[in-house]
Amino acid sequence: MSENATAGADEGSEPDARFTMANERTFLAWSRTSLALVVGGLAVAQLLPPFAHIPWGRAAIATPLILLGAAMSVLSYFEWRANQRALRRGAPLVRSQLPRLLAFTIAVIGLLAGALDIYSRVASR
Amino acid sequence: MSHRDDRDANGEPPASAPGDYEESRPVLASERTDLAWTRSAIAFIALGAAILKIRPAVGLPVMGLGGAIWLLPRISPRRGNALTSRRTLLVTIAVTSLAVVSVVLTLAGPPSRGLRP
Repeated sequence: MSENATAGADEGSEPDARFTMANERTFLAWSRTSLALVVGGLAVAQLLPPFAHIPWGRAAIATPLILLGAAMSVLSYFEWRANQRALRRGAPLVRSQLPRLLAFTIAVIGLLAGALDIYSRVASR
Repeated sequence: MSHRDDRDANGEPPASAPGDYEESRPVLASERTDLAWTRSAIAFIALGAAILKIRPAVGLPVMGLGGAIWLLPRISPRRGNALTSRRTLLVTIAVTSLAVVSVVLTLAGPPSRGLRP
């Protein structure tokens, strides 16, 4: 069974194990989301046919997706650690920036993909 | 937190399960946590298998990482905090490493013709 606090953050008291396990499950959910973004970006680069007249089109969509996945993975790890410390100290939990980051970046990438597709179709006429 | 509907009107656990009700919730939470780790390991293995078809050199290590995530608590002598720290760090390193390889493949790898119908 998982217990709380990482090495180097042993101050404070042992919180309810259910809270630390909930923190762990939250981290895993974000990690799976990050993995999906990375693999999704790789699929865009490897499996989509090239955009007509835009040789860099696939890379322009895939690279931000992959980088977003990497960033979310790292940030979720640090959020997990910060929440572990907060649970031990009885302090308020860290306010996660990940939902906002995910929503904003996916929206921008979606708009970019749409713009590239429209330009590619218009240029092909 | 799980919600149970077997409490009485005063919110007390049923008399038929006097001792183990309060003790069962951490056990259930532990089960959910173990399942979350298993789902994560399966995600790595399944995605690694999918990548295997297009880039075997990338797919095999990804599958291996999934196996390592699942096996770590079963073979590691560490328990508790130390084990959890290692597992979370392993997952983070695995995702980040895959991202680095994917960016290199995307920007500097051989161009792919993509799937065609």
